[in-house]
Amino acid sequence: MSEKIFNIDDLQNINVEGEKYIILQIGPSHPGSGHMRIKVWLDGDIIVKVDPDIGFVHRTSEWLSERREWIKAIPIVERIMLPDTVHANLAYVLTVEKLLSIEPPPRAQYLRSLVAEINRITSHLYGIGIFGIFLGSSTVYMWAFGDREPFIDLMEMLTGARITTSYIIPGGVRWDMPNGFKERAETVLQYMERRLKDYEDIWVKNPVVQARTINVGVLKKEDAISLGVVGPNLRASGVYYDTRKHQPYAAYPNLDFEIPTMKNGDSYDRLLIRVEEIKQSIRMIRQILKDLPEGKIVADQIYNQLNPVMKKNYEEKKRVMFPAFMIHMRPPPGEATAKVEAGRGEIFFYIKSTGDKYPYRFRWVTPSFRNLPFFTHVAVGHRLADLPTIYGSIDYFPPEADR
Amino acid sequence: MSFIPISLIIWLIEDLLYLIIFPGLVTILVLVIVIIWLERKIAAKVQMRFGPLWVSKKIGGALQSLADLLRYSFQEVIIPEKADRLAFILAPGLMFAFATIALIFIPVGPYYSVLFPSYYTILFSLALIIITPIFAITVGWASDNKFSFIGALREGFLLISYEVPFLLSVVSMIIIFRTYDYISAVQSQLNFLPGIILNPLAALVMLIVMIRTTGRFPFDITEADSELVLGLFTEYSALFFGVGMATPYVELYNFSLIFSLLFLGGWWPLNINVMNPVYGLFLPGLVVVIKAFIVMAILVFLRAVYPRYRLDQAVRSGWSYVLLLSILSVILSVVEVMFLR
Repeated sequence: MSEKIFNIDDLQNINVEGEKYIILQIGPSHPGSGHMRIKVWLDGDIIVKVDPDIGFVHRTSEWLSERREWIKAIPIVERIMLPDTVHANLAYVLTVEKLLSIEPPPRAQYLRSLVAEINRITSHLYGIGIFGIFLGSSTVYMWAFGDREPFIDLMEMLTGARITTSYIIPGGVRWDMPNGFKERAETVLQYMERRLKDYEDIWVKNPVVQARTINVGVLKKEDAISLGVVGPNLRASGVYYDTRKHQPYAAYPNLDFEIPTMKNGDSYDRLLIRVEEIKQSIRMIRQILKDLPEGKIVADQIYNQLNPVMKKNYEEKKRVMFPAFMIHMRPPPGEATAKVEAGRGEIFFYIKSTGDKYPYRFRWVTPSFRNLPFFTHVAVGHRLADLPTIYGSIDYFPPEADR
Repeated sequence: MSFIPISLIIWLIEDLLYLIIFPGLVTILVLVIVIIWLERKIAAKVQMRFGPLWVSKKIGGALQSLADLLRYSFQEVIIPEKADRLAFILAPGLMFAFATIALIFIPVGPYYSVLFPSYYTILFSLALIIITPIFAITVGWASDNKFSFIGALREGFLLISYEVPFLLSVVSMIIIFRTYDYISAVQSQLNFLPGIILNPLAALVMLIVMIRTTGRFPFDITEADSELVLGLFTEYSALFFGVGMATPYVELYNFSLIFSLLFLGGWWPLNINVMNPVYGLFLPGLVVVIKAFIVMAILVFLRAVYPRYRLDQAVRSGWSYVLLLSILSVILSVVEVMFLR
């Protein structure tokens, strides 16, 4: 429906001085901005320039983590990515494990993948819901946030916490799968499959949604690659790339799943890809529940550090209490990196250790931060009403980008 | 006192009762409160929520809107420094007033005639309804806020695009009924067929224009919260805000009354020739209001289904599909008048 009025290349270097343009300060306290100010230059109704002013919710996660014991960084990184806590946790732990040279047992790997996929579904539902309210559909917003609940309950059953689980520790996971979890998970998955049909009826196939999103915010394949876009947004532009396939971690090498990709790279495709990924996650959770291997949930290095009381607790309750080793952990000097495919894209971790009880350098790049440049790129030339469409479709989470 | 005819006093009292109680202000207030409650309840039902609940829990939170109204009444009035004070204060009130005054010329029964009997009630009511959006634009201009101003511009664009189809759809009904008066329009429907069967195209156009003018979804464009915070009423607070939020519902009520009079047969199935306030006004009025209420309920249900269109899409469809439909409806009316009668 909406064809671009200007050529993007002409507008990249446009001079926005003078009184010709309306300058709109959208946010940081605006229903359509999130915790970020978006400065928009408008020529009539057409967007000439977009300047997202990031940093409003900067929480110094790197600084904090460099001044604490290694284990204490887990809650910090989790709180940066609230809809997507498990992946932040997992990425950090993978990096530390590389420094420590610990390999978790297969059961722990599967449990990690399980909780990560549950978390991916909640993260995508969160994104779909926010996209819904940005387009004006309170129904999808309420539905998506309501349908997150069964999955969050599953996470609570498995890990003991709803959102900030801190479930994954160096060497394994904290809790084993409780009795009755498989049946409960199967119920939830069947419920979600039923609900996905409802979402298609009222949201994905809604003529108004299609009119608003198709051909809006088109990101071409080459642009997606050169702008460094990650995650579902990259795959919506037709690039077949997923860290779970290309640099597999946890139990993903053993799982059979597909990476859905789209062709056009418009806002509608970015919506569809999230629905498709939810379906793939459901498929993966079923496989994990079927193939879950028996065995320990922590590596032997950690298990041997447990004292008799902790071992008794582990045998009875299947829960790992933290041995003193965890607090006084001093990874050998060196550098390590890890990549994890989170709900919104790829998390990259770099940590340098000097053998001290604190990390020497703690650096991580979150997917939202890497998806932001393309928002400023594609919004130019569209109408003001398309700004929330594009912004909602990239599933941007300001605290995650600000770190 | 003997020089004032007793009939004049009765006439005045009757008029006042019409204006204040039924179908006037009290009815409007009750209906607006009920429809807002119903809108929230329907949306909540679809969205797996309870909706308004805690105020008057036994009747499902029905008094929530009244509580909101009370809250608005006691809030602090904040007027921005750079706002045009006079326009800022007057515009919402005038908006509400004109939306309400239009009701004088919408008869709900054969006995109804407020102030003076007129054979041009359709024209008068349309004229008053069309005035309302001008004050909406004034609101946006007076606030001195970019979001309000963009909202006002959007309102202006949409107003122009949907006014013509609206008037044409009414014109096509005027052609069929050969009258400018609601009462005789209803009488001719009682004698023949309801207007929605005579000219379904006009009814469709009228419904679309109703959705647009009262800002229901998917035409909730002037108040788009993710783009314009609250559109026109971004800077408003207290009772001014409450009045501004209630005006679209009063307009919705007006339009629904007009729709039920022109298309749903008015007070059909009642066909009364007794001319007294109870049988000539109250009973048929009740039928009309119930029909209008059903129309309103259907329109507010759209909130649960549709997101909103973009401004250019709405304007484009206003000047293309809807205008085409309305022209076709006029042609249909002319054809019917030429061949059926």
